[in-house]
Amino acid sequence: MDRFDKFNITVIALISLITIGMLANQEIIKRRLGVDEAEAAEMALYYAEKMALNAKIYEEVISLKEQELYDEAMTKLQDIMKTYPGKPHSYVYLAQLSLKTGKLADTIHNYRLAVEKDPDYMDKKTPLFIGHEVKELVKESLPKFGREKKLKPKDKTVRNALKDLYYLQRVLAGGCE
Amino acid sequence: MKALRMIDATIITGALLGLGGVILVFFGNPANSGICISCFLENFAGSMQLHDNIRMSYIRPELIGFVLGAFFMALQSRRFKVTGGSSPIIRFLLGFFILVGCAVFIGCPIKMIYRLAAGDLTAIAATAGLIFGVWLGAKYIRAGFSLDRVKELPQINGYIIPFFAVLALIFLLLNPSFIIIGEKGPAAMRAPIYISLLLGLAIGVFAQKSGLCITGGIRNFCLVRERTLLNGVITVFMTALILSLIMGQFNLGVNAQPSSHLSHGWTFLAFVLVGLASTLIDGCPFRQLIKAGQGDVDAGITILGMTVGAALVISWALRSTSAGPTFEGKITVLAGLIFSLILVMVYRKRKPA
Repeated sequence: MDRFDKFNITVIALISLITIGMLANQEIIKRRLGVDEAEAAEMALYYAEKMALNAKIYEEVISLKEQELYDEAMTKLQDIMKTYPGKPHSYVYLAQLSLKTGKLADTIHNYRLAVEKDPDYMDKKTPLFIGHEVKELVKESLPKFGREKKLKPKDKTVRNALKDLYYLQRVLAGGCE
Repeated sequence: MKALRMIDATIITGALLGLGGVILVFFGNPANSGICISCFLENFAGSMQLHDNIRMSYIRPELIGFVLGAFFMALQSRRFKVTGGSSPIIRFLLGFFILVGCAVFIGCPIKMIYRLAAGDLTAIAATAGLIFGVWLGAKYIRAGFSLDRVKELPQINGYIIPFFAVLALIFLLLNPSFIIIGEKGPAAMRAPIYISLLLGLAIGVFAQKSGLCITGGIRNFCLVRERTLLNGVITVFMTALILSLIMGQFNLGVNAQPSSHLSHGWTFLAFVLVGLASTLIDGCPFRQLIKAGQGDVDAGITILGMTVGAALVISWALRSTSAGPTFEGKITVLAGLIFSLILVMVYRKRKPA
């Protein structure tokens, strides 16, 4: 080991110590300020605001749905979709109303659109999670559309519904997005 | 062109760089950033959606000009040699750290000269850091440091970076939907494309001929007292200084300087890293672009590392703002220094005892 190596090792040790010191200090400051808790609170606030906004926008749709006036709810929802085009939550209601009116293929497709537009719907860690209802739907619909495919192998609606179901099944299985 | 002596070519390149820096600001580029390789790479990364800061998203034609100018000049003068294979992953990482060092200072070594020439005294700390880093690197080279030996590679390897430059030009002109061109912030400050491109091409041509490199000039002086490249560096400064004075861009002082902050210690350290790492890979960010244009695949790898760095300095905030360097930026500069010093130890060929 020559003088260069000794010099290098000394400098590397010195800079490493400074780096570790800075990181430790930052961690202490973070804990003191409660940064992690603040981030969690910020996230909770974000979802609370989002859900409050949804409740306000879809207030009439929810009310009509509760009164089982599904056609009226659908008409109102379509008006909302014109005002707020592409809003993912519209597709959730669209799916729920389609289910109530017996349009199973539309239900599946709209759940797919909602999940594609906002993956939070399938994320258990967010209050938007609707995984349970989607799982239930997939479980009931898969055998039904499987049977229909055997009877009508060239039916486009059946094939598309199966594609959507397989998509939802993959999303339910989790993994990387 | 053949009759052009090396020293003349260096002076012309220096003068063009000095001129380009001031003229491009006059025509619309951000203040003190007529040419800045690190800022321009950050813009490029943004335009490719490698980060999401729209204010820093634009394909700077100057970068394209440097690469293509060097490419055409190398082909014309039969100096297009396709080489590579020298410690590619290390060059990639050093490219990344160089970019972080530049982002912590807010500018590459060329911008450091422009800032000095425009009267920005905060750039003095960067100059001292760069000189110290290069001096340290030169000491290590003298003590036996060198990366793996370069090899000749099949011709196609040398055409890839120039091809990307042509592709970037097509993207800039056609503006397809996946390319982001910011219409606010620094991205919106830009000289007309044809002026930027022509100046870039001219600088690329002469930089290939002369081999001008900011850190190379200092390194050659430290190693063998050779002044050719250093004269080019001094010419950049003098030209930019004279033009800044003439065009009213000179503003002497520490405060109210564009793209600056007052954390001089971190500026110094960041540019020690830039100087040291650039010396270890044989060239400043600008020189890496020119070398990539003339078929040096290792320089191409360094540019890829710098581009990744350009994306991450924005996404991970490994940089400075006018308020000073971020904590993450400081830590990355220190990590870069540790990495460079470990590298020096590993790659030094020691004299037998």
